[in-house]
Amino acid sequence: MSVVVKVKNAETGATLDMELEPENTINEIIESAASFWHRDSGAYVLRRGKKVLSGSSSVRDAPLITGDVLELIPDPEGG
Amino acid sequence: MRKIVRAGYQDEDRLDRSRRIEWLDLDRICGSTAVLVGAGALGNEVAKNLALSGFAGITIVDSDTIEMSNLSRCAFFSEEDAYRKRAKSEALAEAVQHLHPTMSVDFKKCRIEELPSDFFQQHDIIFGCLDNINARLHVNSHSRLAGKPYIDGSMRGTLGRVFVSLPPDGPCLECAANSSHSKIAALRFSCTGSETAVFVPPVPAEITTTSVISALTVREGLRLLSKEAVPLDGQMIYYDGLRNTLELMEVDVDPGCPNHGI
Repeated sequence: MSVVVKVKNAETGATLDMELEPENTINEIIESAASFWHRDSGAYVLRRGKKVLSGSSSVRDAPLITGDVLELIPDPEGG
Repeated sequence: MRKIVRAGYQDEDRLDRSRRIEWLDLDRICGSTAVLVGAGALGNEVAKNLALSGFAGITIVDSDTIEMSNLSRCAFFSEEDAYRKRAKSEALAEAVQHLHPTMSVDFKKCRIEELPSDFFQQHDIIFGCLDNINARLHVNSHSRLAGKPYIDGSMRGTLGRVFVSLPPDGPCLECAANSSHSKIAALRFSCTGSETAVFVPPVPAEITTTSVISALTVREGLRLLSKEAVPLDGQMIYYDGLRNTLELMEVDVDPGCPNHGI
């Protein structure tokens, strides 16, 4: 059964609703959101509250539920 | 026995003021050696903090030479260094030696990947001030294999984060990585692994971001070495300089991470 989550772009404050299947992964959410916002040239992590979600986790394993708010945040790589 | 104290004796001890900070375990800090990987903007600031904190030794690793464009963010590099194309690692080593003359200072002008695998075992704590994901993951895995704590700082613009990786059980940097990191890592290198295939102009850190992240990076090292302070484990500090917010975020061990269970 699919779930619908809200993904927030931490850089702009923009949000989008994303429909997910249980087998979708956090990696797929990150890639889809980054692509939608044309943020393909950087590394990002996805968090729910204080927790950074593991890229290989599935929606089922995370577990994500309808109404969850996830935030896409840049993972800086410079030094 | 009567003890005679000479007035003003405290000011002859370079670490007297640090000794007054009760939670700092100065004996342990002054007996510890650190590796500093990356001698750029963040590396300059971290090296300064390590020297002033009283570390017994530091080995600085960086393969780059100094460019004029480095001078707006690196306190220890000069125009003469840039004209001479001096090695960043060498110039920084010389500068921190002046700050702390009795500290053992060494430098390696090479990529961290070129050093022997036992290099990390020769030190007590590893600080990462790198500018790319591939080198970060290399230092992360080798620190863990050597059983050494790794504290990684990174920045972009007004954003920064500090990650503390404590072997053997805590999550590591790779646990927090995902496919976007793999994509960036793959973009930066050609199929031979040696030449840049795609050039993406980096967004530099604003210099006050560097000050904040370097302080947090070294602070975590000092907390780790001081018994009475509880170090971060499984958490990363995330700094947003535009909002002036600091957050702690939790990272779990990724069961698929290759660095766990080796």
